[in-house]
Parts: sequence; C-alpha cells; structure tokens
Amino acid sequence: MSEMVRKAGNEEIINHWIMAVSCILLIITGYGFLFQLKGVYALFGGNYAMKVVHNWAGVVFIVSLFATMFNYLREALTYDADDWAWIKMGGGYLSKSAKKAPPMGKLNTGQKFYYLVILAAGIVIAASGFSIWQVQGNRALTQVSHLVHNLAFILFVVAVPVHAYLGTLANPGTFRIMVYGTVPIEFARKKYPKWMKEIGK
Amino acid sequence: MTNRTNKRKAILVTPEVCIGCRGCQTACKAWNQLPGMKTKNTGTMQNPPDLEPVDYNMIRYSEVPSETNPVRWLFVSRRCMHCDDAGCMRICPAPGALFRTKEGAVAFDKDKCIGCKLCVAGCPFDVPRYDKDGKIAKCHLCYDRLAEGMQPACTKTCPTGALRFGDRDQLIAQAKQAGYGKIYGEADLGGLGTIFAFKDAPKLYGYADKPNIPESVIFWHNVLKPLAVIGLGGALAGALLHYVAIGPHKDDDEEVKKS
Repeated sequence: MSEMVRKAGNEEIINHWIMAVSCILLIITGYGFLFQLKGVYALFGGNYAMKVVHNWAGVVFIVSLFATMFNYLREALTYDADDWAWIKMGGGYLSKSAKKAPPMGKLNTGQKFYYLVILAAGIVIAASGFSIWQVQGNRALTQVSHLVHNLAFILFVVAVPVHAYLGTLANPGTFRIMVYGTVPIEFARKKYPKWMKEIGK
Repeated sequence: MTNRTNKRKAILVTPEVCIGCRGCQTACKAWNQLPGMKTKNTGTMQNPPDLEPVDYNMIRYSEVPSETNPVRWLFVSRRCMHCDDAGCMRICPAPGALFRTKEGAVAFDKDKCIGCKLCVAGCPFDVPRYDKDGKIAKCHLCYDRLAEGMQPACTKTCPTGALRFGDRDQLIAQAKQAGYGKIYGEADLGGLGTIFAFKDAPKLYGYADKPNIPESVIFWHNVLKPLAVIGLGGALAGALLHYVAIGPHKDDDEEVKKS
C-alpha cells in the first residue's frame, strides 16, 4: 500500500454527505412540486409531509453549505496565472488525448468556480425559499421569490449532476476522497502539485 | 335554484343597483363561519379595507367624482373571479388543493394546500389570502350550497339584485338586454365566473381594463418548467456523451515525474 495524503477531514466528509443527501431530497421534492408528481407526493406521505421534508431539508442544506465556507472559501477566492491557463484549455476535459494541465492547488479552477456558484445560488435559493415559507401578505415578494427559486433550481439541476459526474466517472480515483478523505501520494502529486509543495510532500 | 346541469354558473354584479348594505359580506361570514375582525377606519365606508382570510368577499367603495356628478360613489363586489383560465390553478403545485367544481367554480381543499402561496403570485386579481394556519382562503362560490341545489349565501341575501346567481350564458344575455353593452369578464381569461355590468370604465371600480396572469408566472410556467427538465436531461446526457466520446481524465505522465 502506497503512502496516503489526507485531502479531506472527517467533518468535511460528513458535512459533504449531509449536503449531498439534503440536496438530492430537495431536487426530488422540487420536481414533485414543479410537475404535481403524485407518485413523489405519495413517496413522502402526502402533500403536507412533502412540504415539511422540502422546507427542513432546505434548512439542513443551507446550514451545511455555510459550514463549507470554513473549508473552501479562502481557496476558492485565490487565483493566479495558472487558473487562467486552466480556463483556456478547459481543464483538459474536452480533448481525448492526455494534455498537460497547468499545476493546480488543492482545488482546481473549475472546482473553485463551481464552489462559488453553488454558494451564491445556495444563498439565493435558501433566502427565496424562506420567504415563500414564512412571509405572508406580500404579493410582489412572493412572485419574485418563486421566480428566483426556480431560476436557482435550474442552475442546481444542471450543476449538481455535472459535479457528481466529474467527481466519480470522469476522474477515476477522486470518489474515495468523499469516503475516506485520503488519496495516494502519487495521485496527489499529479493532481494538486502546488498544494503538495505547500505542505512539503 | 334546483338546476343541476353541468352548465357553467356565474355571479353577475350590477354595481348600478348596489346600495352598499354589505349584506353579502355578512351572509358570507355566517355561512362560512368566518369570525369578525378588527379593522381601522381609513376615512372611507369601505370595511374591511381589502379581502382577508376571514373575508371572502367585500364591497369596494370608490369615490370618483365626475364633472356632472360631484358625489359619484361606486359600490362593487370584490371576490374570487373563478376564471376559466385560472392563474392559481395553472401553477398550484399541490394535487387537489385547488379544484374546479362542476359549476365552474375554483374551490379549494385546505387539507391538501401546502401553503406555498403560488396562487397569490399567480392571481390576476390579488384574491387568495392565507389563514393563520398558512392555508388558502378565498371565495369558493359556496360550492357546498350549490351541491344542495341552493345559491351562494351572498346572492341569496342581496336585497337589490346587485348580485345575481345563475347560468352564465343567461346572465350575460339578460344584462345585455338590460342595456349593458359590454360585460366585464365575458371573455377575459377564458371568461370569468364573476361578471360585471359596469356603467363606467372598469378602472373607476378598481378593476384593470385587461386583467392578465402576472408575466413572472407565465414565464415560470412556460419557460422555467420545461428548462428544469431540459437542464437535468442535458446535464446527464452531456455527462454520458463526454464519458463515451472523450472518456475519463488523463494526465501527462512526464508532468508527474517532474513535480
């Protein structure tokens, strides 16, 4: 067994699972609301029960999203010339041949962008959701909230499956980070050379 | 009032003969067991100031003096319009929460309402209200009375015929015969279930010339809903296509040795 490097701590792993499960629940119930899917309503035990699941899963999701700020926000706001090079080559995802990717830190440029987009969209969808849930007697606000909630929903249903694909099938060897938090040191040197230099490995 | 055909029913409002007695408001409260409510005097006879969860209908008092009539005071009933193309029904996410009765009314089932307030956002007339339990509350054309062959409480009690209940076609024909050229709600939104024989412009009574379902709701319904499916499908199809056509990420091995 080769030497392992710890990329994610236990609290980070648990938090990511909480976020993933609540997010998937929210998406399923969200589609149930959007298209009056009676089967989905039945799955959650009726109209009111599904609303309760959706609302409280939303609370869990946003709390866990805020918790990620301790893990990723600083990194996601740090950019240099390598990020620009990464963007220009599209992260190497769009070509069949192996391409030399610019050296990346703990998160690559795409991951940093993804994080910021999800953070922003998460805050927007939670705020609008809270308004739909709690505010009564303000018609204009209700209209705007539903519109914004749906726009953010579309962003989520596009971004989240792509994120899941990139974290599993598209990049073999990365999914174990979500389970164990560790990766083999050679793999880490290949993927996150700058971060490895930083921690002296 | 024992007509039980499937023909669409309606309430014809004739403001001209309304005396502003508010008997309709009281009868509605009595039948639907709605409690009274403390309101504030805002310098008008209008009370309550607007529809409330415990006020399914109301008389709007508009003071609109004209050149020939310095004390023109218009009374008009305000309530759910039971639109044929109902914005609330289009977008309600909860199955069975809003339903169409065989008389053409838009009725509701509080047990199935989830309190999302989409009906508030979608109503062209700002009618639906939410009660203290967060459930929809509005006029339901007394569909429980209609089922027993009776007419709604408000029309039953109206002493002047300002509110009249009956077959929609007949009411329109009668109003036209009585000299009202244009009936408000005859064709708007697929035809309203509360129709008005206005003598003056609808605006003077507080009604929009052309009522519409809010554009944000149309956009939500016609654009965002399909996009939510296309978006998810596209993302999944894109991932599959990428996996098949390009395949998983590969790194340059030379790069690895150097770093």
